[in-house]
Amino acid sequence: MFPLVFFLLTWLFFFFNYFQHENYSVELVNRNFLFTIPWITIGVIIWFTIAWFSHSAMIRAATDSRPLQRNENKRVYNLVENLCISAGMTMPAINIIEDDSLNAFACGIDTKSYTISLSRGIIDKLNDEELEGVIGHELTHIRNRDVRLLIISIVFVGIFAFIAQALLRSMRFGSLGRGKKGGGGYAFLIAMVLAAVGYLLASLFRFAISRKREYMADAGSAELTKRPLALASALRKISVDPTIEAVKRKDVAQLFIENPGVEDKNRSFSLGLLFSTHPPISRRIELLEQF
Amino acid sequence: MIVFLFLLVILFILLMMAVSIYNRLVRLRNNRQQAFADIDVQLKQRHDLIPQLVDSVKGYMGHERGVLTEITEARSNAMKATTIDEKIAAEGRLSNALAGLKVSVEAYPDLKANQNFMDLQNEISDIENKLAAARRFFNSATKELNVATEVFPSNIIAILFNFKRETMFELGDQRATAEQPPKIQF
Repeated sequence: MFPLVFFLLTWLFFFFNYFQHENYSVELVNRNFLFTIPWITIGVIIWFTIAWFSHSAMIRAATDSRPLQRNENKRVYNLVENLCISAGMTMPAINIIEDDSLNAFACGIDTKSYTISLSRGIIDKLNDEELEGVIGHELTHIRNRDVRLLIISIVFVGIFAFIAQALLRSMRFGSLGRGKKGGGGYAFLIAMVLAAVGYLLASLFRFAISRKREYMADAGSAELTKRPLALASALRKISVDPTIEAVKRKDVAQLFIENPGVEDKNRSFSLGLLFSTHPPISRRIELLEQF
Repeated sequence: MIVFLFLLVILFILLMMAVSIYNRLVRLRNNRQQAFADIDVQLKQRHDLIPQLVDSVKGYMGHERGVLTEITEARSNAMKATTIDEKIAAEGRLSNALAGLKVSVEAYPDLKANQNFMDLQNEISDIENKLAAARRFFNSATKELNVATEVFPSNIIAILFNFKRETMFELGDQRATAEQPPKIQF
């Protein structure tokens, strides 16, 4: 995970070095660059801190979920507890979303905030084995600290977006406009292109990470429960009705076990697939059945 | 001079690696010990619930003396067991006795209508599931320790510091008894 972060970070610096190379008035660029960097860093740190501390409250508010007590639903509580015992994990908190459609997600970045949320629909409509498969999938997300990875990668995508913006602003108001006329415009273009490419690649990276983690969570669940076919049949039932009406925000939606945003399930390859946060359900079911 | 320093650095790196391998082995061994102790937690909970279960059943199943005495005896046996083999045998006997009770209850619809009894029955079923989960975890902790004592770099440290391959939770002699279906007495 941290090598990943390091990779993105060095990539960031590479882009800046490249940029400086092309420019004629290097000193001016350096000055502008140094001027804007502290602001970007402060902005990112603030963003990060807010996300770190408040995200579970935000998610709970965004999805309208509430904590589940043991005596309220012993079946669910026991399923989660038993799975945690067999994995040697401490139990996360359990939340329930009062919605008839089937979906579930895991969130939380440290032992105190780990939470699994299940919708009322998924609790009622899946049998014990299938529900166990879904819970196993979410527990694996927690064990792999996927939400933390997601937040970090989103922040990095944000860094590139910020830089693109900051460059734009510094170009317009900075002293570069006073340099060689041709030189100034040329550098500006290069900067924009690089920032845009950086943003695009970072986004693709982030979506690829998200998809890979979904596969890993499926595999983890199959290993935990020793019943991959149960999760496969659960996914089949979920694919029929995963949209939770209350959730509109895309950021939260991608944490779910199935993201209803991707409509193109029939085409074997489409550009949209590169930008989807979840792999197509048919492929996930296929892989599980081969387990 | 340079060669000497170079060798020193290499030696230092090797030492650091050895230390981290040793620490990992220690952690794995402690994980396994904790997993073993956690099984005892579940067993104790089961021991505590059984008297309540027997009491709730006594009024209804007066004729089923055999089943009830078997459960009570098996329980006290299990609580007295000291060695691992004794424990495995005693707990197996208790599990069998409880399974026998579950089957016998089928003949008493009044008992099945008793909410208290059904709650206790569900609690004990849940503990059996937790026991199975705890044993699975114990086995996976044992597997990790065993693998670490056998794979290449760590097996050297393991031999040096006396980390051995450990046994999993296995039925052993009890397998024959466990594989028999529970006795039904009417």
